[in-house]
Amino acid sequence: MIGRHPLLLRRSSLEQPVPPAVETGRSRLLIAGAMFAAAFAVIAGRLVDVTLFADGNEPRFAQSASDTGHHTDRADIVDRNGVLLATSLKTASLYADARIVLDAEEAARKLAAVLSDLEVAAVRRKLMSDRPFIWIKRHLTPRQQNAVNRLGIPGLEFQQEERRVYPAGPLAAHVLGHTDIDNRGLAGIERSFDAALGSKGTPLRLSIDLRVQHAMHAELAMAVEKFQAIGGAGIVMDVDSGEVLAQVSLPTFDPNNPMKIGKEARFNRTTLGVYEMGSTFKIFNTAMALDTGRITLKSGYDAAKPIRIARFVIRDFHAKRRWLSVPEIFMYSSNIGSVKMALDVGPVAQREFMGRIGMLKPSPIELPEVGAPLIPQRWREINAMTISFGHGISVSPMQLVSGVTAMVNGGIRRKPTLLRQPDGIRPRGTRVVSADTSEKIRRLMRLVVENGTGKNAAAEGMLVGGKTGTAEKVVGRRYKTKALMSSFIGAFPMTAPRYVVFAMLDEPTGTKDTFGYATGGWVAAPVVGKVIARIGPMLGVKPVDAEADNVRSRMAIDIVTEKNGRRQLASF
Amino acid sequence: MIRRGAIFWMVLAVMAGIGLFVLKYEVAEMEDRLADINRQTLANLEAVHVLKAEWSYLNRPERLETLGRSLLSLEPVKSRQTARIADIPIRPDNISDSAAGEPAATATPPAADHVPPLLAKYRRDP
Repeated sequence: MIGRHPLLLRRSSLEQPVPPAVETGRSRLLIAGAMFAAAFAVIAGRLVDVTLFADGNEPRFAQSASDTGHHTDRADIVDRNGVLLATSLKTASLYADARIVLDAEEAARKLAAVLSDLEVAAVRRKLMSDRPFIWIKRHLTPRQQNAVNRLGIPGLEFQQEERRVYPAGPLAAHVLGHTDIDNRGLAGIERSFDAALGSKGTPLRLSIDLRVQHAMHAELAMAVEKFQAIGGAGIVMDVDSGEVLAQVSLPTFDPNNPMKIGKEARFNRTTLGVYEMGSTFKIFNTAMALDTGRITLKSGYDAAKPIRIARFVIRDFHAKRRWLSVPEIFMYSSNIGSVKMALDVGPVAQREFMGRIGMLKPSPIELPEVGAPLIPQRWREINAMTISFGHGISVSPMQLVSGVTAMVNGGIRRKPTLLRQPDGIRPRGTRVVSADTSEKIRRLMRLVVENGTGKNAAAEGMLVGGKTGTAEKVVGRRYKTKALMSSFIGAFPMTAPRYVVFAMLDEPTGTKDTFGYATGGWVAAPVVGKVIARIGPMLGVKPVDAEADNVRSRMAIDIVTEKNGRRQLASF
Repeated sequence: MIRRGAIFWMVLAVMAGIGLFVLKYEVAEMEDRLADINRQTLANLEAVHVLKAEWSYLNRPERLETLGRSLLSLEPVKSRQTARIADIPIRPDNISDSAAGEPAATATPPAADHVPPLLAKYRRDP
């Protein structure tokens, strides 16, 4: 049998009768064979499945290739047009494993020679500390890194880090704020959106327009220098969306250099500072009185004599000593007339109105540096009287600007915001005055620039309207006569206002050009006028011919100059 | 018979082995290249990022303003220099199309001294 072919054997076995034992063995063999065949079939099937068919969990090749994008730990901040305001750049930071450093003395000397701002003694102390990780210097330039590498000192290592960079420098410093060395937001947008900037990859788009910001910054800085003011504030706001296009506080700082920011420069005068705004509050006072329906533009009050109450005397700066109509009170900025107007409305209604336009609560702007307004605890008649011309209540410029946008945009108050709002969609707001009152306020504000205290704010073709404000600063418990807060708040174009522009100077000194005056009309109004002349064409505001008949008739005001007496149609 | 079958399978197995070997090395090489390209892409993206920061640094409005003042003989646009399309008068009918079309038909642009009088007043002589 040995050497014979198995097939032959099988054939021969088929021919002969099969014994039962062999039959059993054969059927067992058949079962075992079938089982093996099934197992191999399963393995083969799995092999085909694994090699030929894709599994849902498998990473796709194309996906893994495109996944190597560029990431920074902190998202960029851009302005409304996409201009980069803050970004993170990769840098190398130098640290030492002090246990490995052989000669601390020599290493310290070499390092100090390469990195000029290091002190030998301090570095030596660090290198001798025996600690496994100690920072030597953060954020080296590539050139410095190369120089340190060439020293070849063992134990010195680099750690890749990111550094926050603000390409525009001090221009939007108070809006952006700054971060600490570990990229944690410490002030401004960097702080209020710290978590979002750290987790989201998409850039944060602000409502700021860097060009407008620059125009405001340049003009305000020039005025601060010219009038030797200790500071200044400026805001440009879109009246329909509440977006802040420019927000400048002077003196400013460089957020690229957070260690060198002075206390005075850090202070944000536009949102954190609260000030008695003076006559700009007459916009609110007049709107309130007109909106109650108690007075019209033809009403008037006797402003012949100063008002004496308690130990105060309320006088007019540009005194006319006669009966004044409402437009005249606004135009000549009469305190006496404004007080009488407020008394007609009453303290309760006044308080309610101030609350409605957001003067009693901190501004809801997205910044951590927001000052709470200073308001009287008990709102008595005397408070109502002083608040009518903007004293006895301190608000931040942002609150004032936001309130004035509601006065000129048809009467709707919207939340001021530093974030870019989608185009064409007006955020929902609340009505605070009627459209008719708003229309009258526009005419009155135009009157101030055409014929009143704000002539210096005029800008050709932009139909500027506004109101001056000059307040004496409170120093200690007294008003300091020589220290003024001079401001101007304007809007343009007055036929259909699109932007409100505000400028304020802190303790300006009059010059020969201003005949020694340092009031809002002389120092702040020109800033607003110049800013509007610069930004108007930039923002696509169509020039308006102030002399055109339809513009004249829309801005005209019937001015009554005598009680029950003659009228004089405004022909200016 | 049996030899031929065995040889066939052995050759097939060896060929499959060689094929796998070649394929594997080819894939490894391609993966290396891909990683290299990815590294380069990342380096380029980082460079672009730095350049963007530099670009916005160089485009600081105050720098552009100083450069514009010293290098260009241009001034900021004043509002009286802008006009609406609606303000431009409609062309009178009596100008015939052939006369109006003539300058356009010649390929050469008008000479510098043929600047329309409307714009001439804004020209500044050096």
